[in-house]
Amino acid sequence: MLRISVVLGLLAVSCAGNTPSQDLTPVTFMAGFTPQANLPFVGVYVADSLGYFTEAGLDVTIEHSGGGSEHLQLLAAGEVDVTTQDAAVMLERRADPGLPLVSIGLIGQKGQQAFVALEESGIEAPSDWAGRTVGFKGTPPPDLFAILDAVGVDAADVELVNVGFDPRALTEGQVDVYPVFKSNEPDTLEGMGFDLNMWEAADYGAPTLGLAYVATETMTSTEPETLSAFMGAVIRGLRYAEEQPAETIDIVMTHVGEGGDAEHQRFILDTELADAHSALTDTHGLGWQTTEQWQELRDFLITYGALPEPVDVVDAFTTEFLPSLDGAG
Amino acid sequence: MKRGWALGSAVVLGTLLAWEMGVWLSGVEVYLVPAPSDILRALVDGVDSLAPAAGITLGEAILGLALGGALGLGIAAVITFWSQLEQGVMSLALLIKSTPVIAIAPILTIWLGRGPGPKVVVTALLTFFPVLINSLEGFRSVDPAIADWFRSVNASPRQYFAQARWPSARPFLFAALKVAGPLALIGAVVAEWVGASSGLGREMWLAYNNLNMPSLFAAVVILSLLSAAVYYLVVVTERRTVHWN
Repeated sequence: MLRISVVLGLLAVSCAGNTPSQDLTPVTFMAGFTPQANLPFVGVYVADSLGYFTEAGLDVTIEHSGGGSEHLQLLAAGEVDVTTQDAAVMLERRADPGLPLVSIGLIGQKGQQAFVALEESGIEAPSDWAGRTVGFKGTPPPDLFAILDAVGVDAADVELVNVGFDPRALTEGQVDVYPVFKSNEPDTLEGMGFDLNMWEAADYGAPTLGLAYVATETMTSTEPETLSAFMGAVIRGLRYAEEQPAETIDIVMTHVGEGGDAEHQRFILDTELADAHSALTDTHGLGWQTTEQWQELRDFLITYGALPEPVDVVDAFTTEFLPSLDGAG
Repeated sequence: MKRGWALGSAVVLGTLLAWEMGVWLSGVEVYLVPAPSDILRALVDGVDSLAPAAGITLGEAILGLALGGALGLGIAAVITFWSQLEQGVMSLALLIKSTPVIAIAPILTIWLGRGPGPKVVVTALLTFFPVLINSLEGFRSVDPAIADWFRSVNASPRQYFAQARWPSARPFLFAALKVAGPLALIGAVVAEWVGASSGLGREMWLAYNNLNMPSLFAAVVILSLLSAAVYYLVVVTERRTVHWN
Protein backbone atom coordinates (compact mmCIF):
# COMPACT_ATOMS: atom_id res chain seq x y z
CA MET A 1 0.00 0.00 0.00
CA LEU A 2 2.84 2.31 0.96
CA ARG A 3 4.63 1.46 -2.31
CA ILE A 4 1.48 2.34 -4.35
CA SER A 5 1.18 5.68 -2.52
CA VAL A 6 4.81 6.52 -3.22
CA VAL A 7 4.39 5.66 -6.94
CA LEU A 8 1.21 7.74 -7.17
CA GLY A 9 2.97 10.59 -5.38
CA LEU A 10 5.93 10.45 -7.73
CA LEU A 11 3.57 10.37 -10.70
CA ALA A 12 1.78 13.44 -9.40
CA VAL A 13 5.08 15.29 -8.96
CA SER A 14 6.22 14.17 -12.41
CA CYS A 15 2.98 15.35 -14.04
CA ALA A 16 3.18 18.67 -12.22
CA GLY A 17 6.67 19.13 -13.64
CA ASN A 18 5.52 18.52 -17.20
CA THR A 19 2.53 20.83 -17.31
CA PRO A 20 2.53 24.62 -16.96
CA SER A 21 1.80 25.71 -13.45
CA GLN A 22 -1.41 27.54 -12.77
CA ASP A 23 0.73 30.21 -11.11
CA LEU A 24 2.47 31.39 -14.31
CA THR A 25 1.99 35.08 -14.97
CA PRO A 26 0.60 35.73 -18.45
CA VAL A 27 2.61 38.19 -20.56
CA THR A 28 1.91 39.25 -24.15
CA PHE A 29 4.97 40.19 -26.17
CA MET A 30 4.51 41.75 -29.60
CA ALA A 31 7.57 41.98 -31.81
CA GLY A 32 7.63 45.22 -33.77
CA PHE A 33 7.85 43.45 -37.12
CA THR A 34 7.30 40.11 -38.83
CA PRO A 35 9.28 37.09 -37.54
CA GLN A 36 13.01 37.38 -38.15
CA ALA A 37 16.30 37.34 -36.25
CA ASN A 38 16.14 40.92 -34.95
CA LEU A 39 17.95 40.57 -31.67
CA PRO A 40 15.14 41.50 -29.28
CA PHE A 41 12.91 39.00 -31.08
CA VAL A 42 15.61 36.35 -30.77
CA GLY A 43 15.84 36.80 -27.00
CA VAL A 44 12.13 36.07 -26.73
CA TYR A 45 12.15 33.16 -29.19
CA VAL A 46 14.99 31.45 -27.33
CA ALA A 47 13.59 32.13 -23.87
CA ASP A 48 10.27 30.68 -24.98
CA SER A 49 11.76 27.68 -26.76
CA LEU A 50 14.20 26.69 -24.01
CA GLY A 51 11.75 27.19 -21.15
CA TYR A 52 13.43 30.24 -19.61
CA PHE A 53 10.09 32.03 -19.35
CA THR A 54 8.46 29.10 -17.58
CA GLU A 55 11.39 28.90 -15.17
CA ALA A 56 10.92 32.60 -14.51
CA GLY A 57 7.23 32.06 -13.76
CA LEU A 58 5.92 33.55 -16.99
CA ASP A 59 3.49 32.31 -19.63
CA VAL A 60 4.50 34.45 -22.62
CA THR A 61 2.36 34.78 -25.73
CA ILE A 62 4.40 35.89 -28.75
CA GLU A 63 2.76 38.03 -31.41
CA HIS A 64 4.10 40.06 -34.32
CA SER A 65 3.23 43.46 -35.69
CA GLY A 66 2.71 43.88 -39.41
CA GLY A 67 5.33 46.61 -39.53
CA GLY A 68 3.22 49.69 -38.91
CA SER A 69 2.79 51.35 -35.55
CA GLU A 70 0.00 49.13 -34.27
CA HIS A 71 2.29 47.47 -31.72
CA LEU A 72 2.73 50.83 -29.97
CA GLN A 73 -1.01 51.50 -30.04
CA LEU A 74 -1.72 48.06 -28.60
CA LEU A 75 0.96 48.54 -25.94
CA ALA A 76 -0.45 51.92 -24.93
CA ALA A 77 -3.95 50.42 -24.85
CA GLY A 78 -2.74 47.66 -22.51
CA GLU A 79 -3.41 44.85 -24.99
CA VAL A 80 0.32 44.10 -25.19
CA ASP A 81 2.71 44.08 -22.22
CA VAL A 82 6.10 44.38 -23.92
CA THR A 83 7.08 45.26 -27.47
CA THR A 84 10.17 46.38 -29.39
CA GLN A 85 10.93 49.74 -30.92
CA ASP A 86 13.80 51.69 -32.38
CA ALA A 87 15.06 54.08 -29.69
CA ALA A 88 14.68 57.23 -31.81
CA VAL A 89 11.10 56.43 -32.80
CA MET A 90 10.31 55.59 -29.18
CA LEU A 91 11.43 59.07 -28.11
CA GLU A 92 9.48 60.66 -30.95
CA ARG A 93 6.28 58.84 -29.95
CA ARG A 94 6.83 59.86 -26.30
CA ALA A 95 6.90 63.47 -27.49
CA ASP A 96 4.02 63.17 -29.95
CA PRO A 97 1.34 61.92 -29.37
CA GLY A 98 2.70 61.48 -25.85
CA LEU A 99 2.72 57.70 -25.49
CA PRO A 100 3.94 56.63 -22.02
CA LEU A 101 6.72 54.41 -23.41
CA VAL A 102 9.69 53.23 -21.37
CA SER A 103 12.75 51.39 -22.67
CA ILE A 104 13.39 48.50 -20.28
CA GLY A 105 16.42 47.18 -22.16
CA LEU A 106 18.43 48.83 -24.94
CA ILE A 107 19.59 45.91 -27.05
CA GLY A 108 20.90 47.91 -30.02
CA GLN A 109 23.76 50.02 -28.71
CA LYS A 110 24.08 51.42 -32.24
CA GLY A 111 21.39 52.25 -34.78
CA GLN A 112 20.80 49.85 -37.65
CA GLN A 113 20.18 52.44 -40.35
CA ALA A 114 22.85 52.87 -42.99
CA PHE A 115 23.20 53.92 -46.63
CA VAL A 116 24.67 51.92 -49.48
CA ALA A 117 25.75 52.57 -53.06
CA LEU A 118 26.77 50.08 -55.69
CA GLU A 119 30.55 49.79 -55.76
CA GLU A 120 30.42 50.14 -59.55
CA SER A 121 28.72 53.56 -59.20
CA GLY A 122 32.00 55.20 -58.26
CA ILE A 123 30.49 56.65 -55.09
CA GLU A 124 33.32 56.15 -52.65
CA ALA A 125 32.25 58.45 -49.82
CA PRO A 126 29.26 60.58 -48.75
CA SER A 127 31.08 63.59 -50.19
CA ASP A 128 30.30 61.99 -53.58
CA TRP A 129 26.55 62.14 -52.87
CA ALA A 130 26.33 65.74 -54.13
CA GLY A 131 24.36 65.79 -57.36
CA ARG A 132 23.15 62.23 -56.80
CA THR A 133 19.77 60.71 -55.95
CA VAL A 134 19.53 59.53 -52.35
CA GLY A 135 16.63 57.37 -51.22
CA PHE A 136 14.79 57.36 -47.92
CA LYS A 137 12.11 55.15 -46.40
CA GLY A 138 9.03 57.16 -45.64
CA THR A 139 10.68 60.26 -44.23
CA PRO A 140 14.30 61.43 -44.58
CA PRO A 141 16.00 60.29 -41.35
CA PRO A 142 18.23 62.46 -39.15
CA ASP A 143 21.05 60.00 -39.89
CA LEU A 144 21.07 61.13 -43.51
CA PHE A 145 21.42 64.82 -42.66
CA ALA A 146 24.03 64.06 -40.00
CA ILE A 147 26.19 62.30 -42.59
CA LEU A 148 25.75 65.15 -45.09
CA ASP A 149 26.64 67.71 -42.41
CA ALA A 150 29.71 65.74 -41.37
CA VAL A 151 31.12 65.70 -44.90
CA GLY A 152 30.04 69.25 -45.77
CA VAL A 153 27.46 68.43 -48.44
CA ASP A 154 24.45 70.73 -48.59
CA ALA A 155 21.18 68.76 -48.40
CA ALA A 156 19.89 70.89 -51.27
CA ASP A 157 22.60 69.37 -53.47
CA VAL A 158 21.16 65.87 -53.27
CA GLU A 159 17.84 64.75 -54.69
CA LEU A 160 15.87 62.96 -51.98
CA VAL A 161 13.44 60.26 -53.13
CA ASN A 162 11.04 58.11 -51.11
CA VAL A 163 11.97 54.58 -52.17
CA GLY A 164 9.95 52.47 -49.77
CA PHE A 165 11.34 49.08 -48.85
CA ASP A 166 12.46 47.51 -52.12
CA PRO A 167 16.26 47.45 -52.61
CA ARG A 168 15.82 46.89 -56.33
CA ALA A 169 15.36 50.68 -56.48
CA LEU A 170 19.17 50.72 -56.16
CA THR A 171 19.99 47.91 -58.55
CA GLU A 172 17.57 49.24 -61.18
CA GLY A 173 19.16 52.69 -61.01
CA GLN A 174 16.20 54.60 -59.57
CA VAL A 175 18.49 55.96 -56.85
CA ASP A 176 22.27 56.18 -56.45
CA VAL A 177 22.25 55.79 -52.67
CA TYR A 178 19.78 53.51 -50.93
CA PRO A 179 18.81 53.45 -47.22
CA VAL A 180 19.21 50.06 -45.56
CA PHE A 181 18.93 48.34 -42.25
CA LYS A 182 22.49 47.11 -42.16
CA SER A 183 21.48 43.74 -40.73
CA ASN A 184 19.12 43.13 -43.62
CA GLU A 185 19.28 44.53 -47.17
CA PRO A 186 23.09 44.48 -47.62
CA ASP A 187 22.97 40.68 -47.40
CA THR A 188 20.10 40.57 -49.91
CA LEU A 189 21.88 42.89 -52.35
CA GLU A 190 25.18 41.08 -52.09
CA GLY A 191 23.29 37.82 -52.57
CA MET A 192 22.02 39.28 -55.85
CA GLY A 193 25.64 39.72 -56.90
CA PHE A 194 26.18 43.40 -56.18
CA ASP A 195 29.18 44.75 -54.29
CA LEU A 196 28.35 47.66 -52.01
CA ASN A 197 29.87 50.64 -50.28
CA MET A 198 28.13 51.33 -46.97
CA TRP A 199 28.03 54.28 -44.59
CA GLU A 200 26.33 54.67 -41.22
CA ALA A 201 25.76 57.83 -39.24
CA ALA A 202 27.45 56.46 -36.12
CA ASP A 203 30.75 56.50 -38.03
CA TYR A 204 30.26 60.25 -38.60
CA GLY A 205 29.70 61.08 -34.95
CA ALA A 206 25.92 60.64 -34.70
CA PRO A 207 24.82 59.13 -31.36
CA THR A 208 22.45 56.57 -32.86
CA LEU A 209 20.77 53.82 -30.84
CA GLY A 210 18.98 50.68 -31.98
CA LEU A 211 16.11 48.46 -30.89
CA ALA A 212 14.87 48.38 -27.30
CA TYR A 213 12.39 46.33 -25.31
CA VAL A 214 9.57 48.73 -24.48
CA ALA A 215 6.81 48.71 -21.86
CA THR A 216 4.47 51.41 -20.58
CA GLU A 217 4.90 53.57 -17.48
CA THR A 218 1.86 51.82 -16.02
CA MET A 219 3.45 48.42 -16.54
CA THR A 220 6.80 49.46 -15.06
CA SER A 221 5.12 50.84 -11.95
CA THR A 222 2.56 48.08 -11.39
CA GLU A 223 4.32 44.91 -12.64
CA PRO A 224 8.01 45.28 -11.73
CA GLU A 225 8.42 41.60 -10.78
CA THR A 226 6.92 40.50 -14.09
CA LEU A 227 9.21 42.77 -16.08
CA SER A 228 12.26 41.67 -14.09
CA ALA A 229 11.39 38.06 -14.79
CA PHE A 230 10.82 38.85 -18.47
CA MET A 231 14.10 40.73 -18.92
CA GLY A 232 16.02 38.10 -16.99
CA ALA A 233 14.72 35.40 -19.32
CA VAL A 234 15.28 37.30 -22.58
CA ILE A 235 18.81 38.40 -21.64
CA ARG A 236 19.51 34.77 -20.82
CA GLY A 237 18.11 33.96 -24.27
CA LEU A 238 20.46 36.48 -25.87
CA ARG A 239 23.47 35.06 -24.07
CA TYR A 240 22.49 31.64 -25.40
CA ALA A 241 22.24 33.15 -28.90
CA GLU A 242 25.81 34.42 -28.61
CA GLU A 243 27.10 31.06 -27.44
CA GLN A 244 25.00 28.86 -29.71
CA PRO A 245 24.19 30.84 -32.89
CA ALA A 246 23.52 27.78 -35.05
CA GLU A 247 21.01 26.32 -32.59
CA THR A 248 19.52 29.78 -32.17
CA ILE A 249 18.86 30.05 -35.90
CA ASP A 250 17.06 26.69 -35.74
CA ILE A 251 14.78 28.23 -33.10
CA VAL A 252 14.33 31.42 -35.14
CA MET A 253 13.35 29.40 -38.20
CA THR A 254 10.45 27.82 -36.31
CA HIS A 255 9.00 31.33 -36.17
CA VAL A 256 10.08 32.46 -39.64
CA GLY A 257 8.46 29.40 -41.16
CA GLU A 258 9.02 27.37 -44.30
CA GLY A 259 10.51 29.30 -47.16
CA GLY A 260 12.65 31.42 -44.86
CA ASP A 261 16.34 31.80 -45.58
CA ALA A 262 18.35 30.51 -42.61
CA GLU A 263 21.58 32.05 -43.92
CA HIS A 264 19.94 35.46 -44.17
CA GLN A 265 18.63 35.09 -40.62
CA ARG A 266 22.16 34.23 -39.49
CA PHE A 267 23.39 37.44 -41.14
CA ILE A 268 20.78 39.44 -39.23
CA LEU A 269 21.70 37.73 -35.97
CA ASP A 270 25.46 38.18 -36.37
CA THR A 271 25.16 41.84 -37.41
CA GLU A 272 22.86 42.77 -34.54
CA LEU A 273 24.89 40.80 -31.99
CA ALA A 274 27.94 42.87 -32.94
CA ASP A 275 25.99 46.08 -32.30
CA ALA A 276 24.54 44.86 -29.01
CA HIS A 277 27.92 45.39 -27.35
CA SER A 278 29.53 48.58 -26.13
CA ALA A 279 31.79 49.64 -23.30
CA LEU A 280 28.63 50.02 -21.23
CA THR A 281 27.36 46.52 -21.87
CA ASP A 282 30.84 45.10 -21.24
CA THR A 283 30.62 46.60 -17.75
CA HIS A 284 26.94 46.22 -16.97
CA GLY A 285 25.62 43.52 -19.31
CA LEU A 286 23.41 43.37 -22.40
CA GLY A 287 20.60 45.90 -22.61
CA TRP A 288 22.27 48.51 -20.39
CA GLN A 289 21.44 52.16 -21.03
CA THR A 290 22.30 55.49 -19.55
CA THR A 291 20.89 58.99 -19.28
CA GLU A 292 23.81 60.26 -21.37
CA GLN A 293 22.97 57.92 -24.25
CA TRP A 294 19.34 59.02 -24.31
CA GLN A 295 20.21 62.72 -23.88
CA GLU A 296 22.64 62.59 -26.79
CA LEU A 297 20.03 60.85 -28.93
CA ARG A 298 17.40 63.44 -27.93
CA ASP A 299 19.69 66.37 -28.77
CA PHE A 300 20.60 64.74 -32.09
CA LEU A 301 16.92 64.31 -33.00
CA ILE A 302 16.13 67.90 -32.03
CA THR A 303 19.04 69.19 -34.12
CA TYR A 304 17.61 67.54 -37.24
CA GLY A 305 13.97 68.35 -36.54
CA ALA A 306 12.83 64.81 -35.71
CA LEU A 307 11.76 65.84 -32.20
CA PRO A 308 9.47 68.85 -32.01
CA GLU A 309 10.63 69.96 -28.57
CA PRO A 310 12.92 68.90 -25.73
CA VAL A 311 11.60 65.86 -23.90
CA ASP A 312 12.73 64.62 -20.54
CA VAL A 313 14.62 61.38 -21.11
CA VAL A 314 14.95 60.37 -17.46
CA ASP A 315 11.53 58.71 -17.50
CA ALA A 316 12.08 57.25 -20.96
CA PHE A 317 14.22 54.35 -19.77
CA THR A 318 15.06 52.23 -16.77
CA THR A 319 17.70 49.64 -15.93
CA GLU A 320 15.64 48.44 -12.97
CA PHE A 321 14.56 45.21 -14.64
CA LEU A 322 17.87 44.16 -16.19
CA PRO A 323 19.68 41.20 -14.65
CA SER A 324 23.18 41.59 -13.30
CA LEU A 325 26.14 40.39 -15.34
CA ASP A 326 26.32 37.14 -13.41
CA GLY A 327 22.67 36.50 -14.21
CA ALA A 328 21.61 36.77 -10.60
CA GLY A 329 18.79 39.15 -11.49
CA MET B 1 -36.92 66.16 -50.94
CA LYS B 2 -36.11 68.85 -48.36
CA ARG B 3 -37.36 66.55 -45.60
CA GLY B 4 -35.03 63.83 -46.89
CA TRP B 5 -32.03 66.14 -46.76
CA ALA B 6 -32.97 67.31 -43.27
CA LEU B 7 -33.33 63.74 -42.04
CA GLY B 8 -30.02 62.73 -43.62
CA SER B 9 -28.23 65.71 -42.09
CA ALA B 10 -29.75 64.93 -38.70
CA VAL B 11 -28.49 61.32 -38.88
CA VAL B 12 -24.97 62.47 -39.79
CA LEU B 13 -24.88 65.19 -37.13
CA GLY B 14 -26.33 62.84 -34.52
CA THR B 15 -23.68 60.22 -35.30
CA LEU B 16 -20.88 62.79 -35.05
CA LEU B 17 -22.29 64.12 -31.78
CA ALA B 18 -22.54 60.59 -30.32
CA TRP B 19 -18.95 59.92 -31.45
CA GLU B 20 -17.71 63.15 -29.85
CA MET B 21 -19.55 62.41 -26.61
CA GLY B 22 -18.37 58.81 -26.59
CA VAL B 23 -14.72 59.88 -26.87
CA TRP B 24 -15.18 62.59 -24.26
CA LEU B 25 -16.97 60.38 -21.75
CA SER B 26 -14.73 57.33 -22.17
CA GLY B 27 -11.51 59.35 -22.02
CA VAL B 28 -10.03 57.19 -24.79
CA GLU B 29 -6.68 58.54 -25.99
CA VAL B 30 -6.50 60.49 -29.23
CA TYR B 31 -3.93 58.07 -30.69
CA LEU B 32 -6.55 55.32 -30.44
CA VAL B 33 -9.80 57.09 -31.34
CA PRO B 34 -9.80 60.79 -32.31
CA ALA B 35 -12.95 62.84 -31.71
CA PRO B 36 -14.63 64.55 -34.68
CA SER B 37 -13.46 67.90 -33.25
CA ASP B 38 -9.84 66.64 -33.34
CA ILE B 39 -10.31 65.59 -36.97
CA LEU B 40 -11.84 68.94 -37.89
CA ARG B 41 -8.91 70.73 -36.26
CA ALA B 42 -6.44 68.52 -38.18
CA LEU B 43 -8.33 69.30 -41.40
CA VAL B 44 -8.07 73.03 -40.81
CA ASP B 45 -4.45 72.95 -39.61
CA GLY B 46 -3.34 70.60 -42.37
CA VAL B 47 -5.14 72.16 -45.31
CA ASP B 48 -1.88 73.46 -46.79
CA SER B 49 -0.54 69.94 -47.20
CA LEU B 50 -3.81 68.03 -47.60
CA ALA B 51 -5.21 70.16 -50.45
CA PRO B 52 -2.29 69.68 -52.87
CA ALA B 53 -2.07 66.01 -51.83
CA ALA B 54 -5.75 65.57 -52.69
CA GLY B 55 -5.16 67.21 -56.08
CA ILE B 56 -2.34 64.78 -56.87
CA THR B 57 -4.37 61.74 -55.83
CA LEU B 58 -7.41 62.93 -57.78
CA GLY B 59 -5.27 63.44 -60.87
CA GLU B 60 -3.82 59.94 -60.63
CA ALA B 61 -7.29 58.50 -60.03
CA ILE B 62 -8.79 60.26 -63.06
CA LEU B 63 -5.94 59.15 -65.34
CA GLY B 64 -6.18 55.57 -64.00
CA LEU B 65 -9.96 55.54 -64.39
CA ALA B 66 -9.67 56.84 -67.94
CA LEU B 67 -7.12 54.15 -68.80
CA GLY B 68 -8.98 51.35 -66.99
CA GLY B 69 -12.33 52.48 -68.37
CA ALA B 70 -11.03 52.69 -71.94
CA LEU B 71 -9.46 49.25 -71.62
CA GLY B 72 -12.62 47.70 -70.14
CA LEU B 73 -14.87 49.30 -72.73
CA GLY B 74 -12.53 48.47 -75.60
CA ILE B 75 -12.11 44.84 -74.61
CA ALA B 76 -15.88 44.46 -74.16
CA ALA B 77 -16.41 45.89 -77.65
CA VAL B 78 -13.83 43.52 -79.16
CA ILE B 79 -15.48 40.54 -77.45
CA THR B 80 -18.84 41.68 -78.82
CA PHE B 81 -17.48 41.45 -82.37
CA TRP B 82 -15.38 38.32 -81.85
CA SER B 83 -17.12 36.24 -79.17
CA GLN B 84 -14.61 33.38 -79.61
CA LEU B 85 -12.11 35.57 -77.73
CA GLU B 86 -14.35 35.79 -74.67
CA GLN B 87 -13.13 32.77 -72.70
CA GLY B 88 -9.44 33.61 -73.05
CA VAL B 89 -9.86 37.33 -72.42
CA MET B 90 -12.16 36.83 -69.44
CA SER B 91 -9.76 34.30 -67.87
CA LEU B 92 -6.98 36.86 -68.15
CA ALA B 93 -9.23 39.62 -66.79
CA LEU B 94 -10.23 37.46 -63.82
CA LEU B 95 -6.57 36.72 -63.13
CA ILE B 96 -5.80 40.44 -63.01
CA LYS B 97 -8.93 41.13 -60.98
CA SER B 98 -7.98 38.56 -58.33
CA THR B 99 -4.36 39.72 -58.01
CA PRO B 100 -3.95 41.64 -54.73
CA VAL B 101 -2.97 45.17 -55.72
CA ILE B 102 -0.90 45.58 -52.58
CA ALA B 103 1.31 42.69 -53.75
CA ILE B 104 2.07 44.04 -57.20
CA ALA B 105 2.26 47.77 -56.46
CA PRO B 106 5.93 47.63 -55.30
CA ILE B 107 7.09 45.78 -58.41
CA LEU B 108 5.15 48.20 -60.63
CA THR B 109 7.19 50.96 -59.02
CA ILE B 110 10.39 49.16 -60.00
CA TRP B 111 9.15 48.71 -63.56
CA LEU B 112 7.58 52.11 -64.11
CA GLY B 113 9.61 54.41 -61.88
CA ARG B 114 8.66 56.57 -58.95
CA GLY B 115 6.42 59.05 -60.75
CA PRO B 116 2.64 58.83 -61.27
CA GLY B 117 2.99 55.87 -63.69
CA PRO B 118 2.59 53.00 -61.19
CA LYS B 119 -0.26 54.78 -59.38
CA VAL B 120 -2.14 55.24 -62.64
CA VAL B 121 -1.59 51.60 -63.61
CA VAL B 122 -2.72 50.28 -60.21
CA THR B 123 -5.85 52.41 -60.51
CA ALA B 124 -6.47 51.17 -64.03
CA LEU B 125 -6.09 47.54 -62.91
CA LEU B 126 -8.70 48.09 -60.21
CA THR B 127 -11.19 49.90 -62.41
CA PHE B 128 -11.12 48.11 -65.73
CA PHE B 129 -12.92 44.96 -64.53
CA PRO B 130 -16.25 46.50 -63.48
CA VAL B 131 -16.27 48.51 -66.70
CA LEU B 132 -15.51 45.39 -68.76
CA ILE B 133 -18.23 43.28 -67.14
CA ASN B 134 -20.93 45.94 -67.24
CA SER B 135 -20.11 47.09 -70.76
CA LEU B 136 -20.19 43.54 -72.07
CA GLU B 137 -23.53 42.98 -70.41
CA GLY B 138 -24.77 46.26 -71.84
CA PHE B 139 -23.63 45.49 -75.38
CA ARG B 140 -25.60 42.23 -75.15
CA SER B 141 -28.74 43.75 -73.71
CA VAL B 142 -30.20 45.18 -76.89
CA ASP B 143 -33.99 45.16 -76.81
CA PRO B 144 -35.15 42.12 -78.91
CA ALA B 145 -37.57 44.30 -80.89
CA ILE B 146 -34.78 46.71 -81.81
CA ALA B 147 -32.49 43.83 -82.70
CA ASP B 148 -35.21 42.39 -84.96
CA TRP B 149 -35.62 45.74 -86.68
CA PHE B 150 -31.88 46.07 -87.39
CA ARG B 151 -31.91 42.53 -88.80
CA SER B 152 -34.90 43.36 -90.98
CA VAL B 153 -33.08 46.33 -92.55
CA ASN B 154 -29.96 44.20 -93.04
CA ALA B 155 -27.75 46.58 -90.97
CA SER B 156 -24.00 45.98 -90.99
CA PRO B 157 -22.33 44.81 -87.75
CA ARG B 158 -20.74 48.25 -87.41
CA GLN B 159 -24.12 49.98 -87.78
CA TYR B 160 -25.70 47.56 -85.33
CA PHE B 161 -22.93 48.23 -82.79
CA ALA B 162 -23.08 52.02 -83.11
CA GLN B 163 -26.85 52.38 -83.20
CA ALA B 164 -28.15 49.46 -81.12
CA ARG B 165 -25.47 47.99 -78.88
CA TRP B 166 -23.78 51.26 -77.85
CA PRO B 167 -26.99 53.04 -76.72
CA SER B 168 -27.99 49.86 -74.90
CA ALA B 169 -24.63 49.73 -73.09
CA ARG B 170 -24.56 53.32 -71.87
CA PRO B 171 -26.70 52.85 -68.73
CA PHE B 172 -24.53 49.82 -67.86
CA LEU B 173 -21.40 51.86 -68.42
CA PHE B 174 -22.58 54.54 -66.02
CA ALA B 175 -23.46 51.87 -63.45
CA ALA B 176 -19.87 50.62 -63.79
CA LEU B 177 -18.45 54.12 -63.42
CA LYS B 178 -20.43 54.63 -60.19
CA VAL B 179 -18.44 51.73 -58.76
CA ALA B 180 -15.15 52.35 -60.56
CA GLY B 181 -14.95 56.11 -59.79
CA PRO B 182 -14.63 55.81 -56.00
CA LEU B 183 -12.55 52.64 -56.52
CA ALA B 184 -10.09 54.66 -58.59
CA LEU B 185 -9.38 56.93 -55.63
CA ILE B 186 -8.78 53.94 -53.38
CA GLY B 187 -6.43 52.46 -55.99
CA ALA B 188 -4.41 55.68 -56.16
CA VAL B 189 -4.17 55.87 -52.36
CA VAL B 190 -3.07 52.22 -52.05
CA ALA B 191 -0.34 52.79 -54.66
CA GLU B 192 0.82 55.96 -52.88
CA TRP B 193 0.84 54.16 -49.53
CA VAL B 194 3.35 51.64 -50.90
CA GLY B 195 5.81 54.35 -51.90
CA ALA B 196 5.24 57.92 -53.01
CA SER B 197 6.60 61.37 -52.31
CA SER B 198 3.19 63.05 -52.43
CA GLY B 199 -0.55 62.42 -52.44
CA LEU B 200 -3.23 61.52 -49.91
CA GLY B 201 -1.87 57.98 -49.53
CA ARG B 202 1.50 59.42 -48.58
CA GLU B 203 -0.18 61.78 -46.05
CA MET B 204 -2.06 58.82 -44.58
CA TRP B 205 1.09 56.71 -44.36
CA LEU B 206 2.93 59.49 -42.53
CA ALA B 207 0.04 60.09 -40.14
CA TYR B 208 -0.32 56.37 -39.44
CA ASN B 209 3.37 55.87 -38.74
CA ASN B 210 3.47 58.96 -36.51
CA LEU B 211 0.31 57.73 -34.73
CA ASN B 212 -1.31 61.02 -35.69
CA MET B 213 -4.85 59.66 -35.88
CA PRO B 214 -6.60 63.04 -36.36
CA SER B 215 -4.50 63.68 -39.49
CA LEU B 216 -5.11 60.14 -40.72
CA PHE B 217 -8.87 60.56 -40.33
CA ALA B 218 -8.71 64.04 -41.87
CA ALA B 219 -7.19 62.51 -45.00
CA VAL B 220 -9.89 59.81 -44.93
CA VAL B 221 -12.56 62.53 -44.76
CA ILE B 222 -11.10 64.23 -47.82
CA LEU B 223 -10.92 60.91 -49.66
CA SER B 224 -14.58 60.24 -48.81
CA LEU B 225 -15.61 63.68 -50.02
CA LEU B 226 -13.70 63.17 -53.27
CA SER B 227 -15.34 59.74 -53.71
CA ALA B 228 -18.77 61.25 -53.17
CA ALA B 229 -17.99 64.04 -55.64
CA VAL B 230 -16.86 61.58 -58.30
CA TYR B 231 -19.96 59.45 -57.71
CA TYR B 232 -22.35 62.40 -58.04
CA LEU B 233 -20.50 63.67 -61.10
CA VAL B 234 -21.21 60.31 -62.75
CA VAL B 235 -24.85 60.47 -61.64
CA VAL B 236 -25.32 63.99 -63.03
CA THR B 237 -23.59 63.10 -66.29
CA GLU B 238 -25.80 60.03 -66.62
CA ARG B 239 -28.98 62.07 -66.08
CA ARG B 240 -27.94 64.51 -68.76
CA THR B 241 -26.92 61.96 -71.36
CA VAL B 242 -29.10 58.87 -70.86
CA HIS B 243 -32.47 60.52 -71.34
CA TRP B 244 -34.65 57.50 -71.90
CA ASN B 245 -33.67 55.73 -68.70
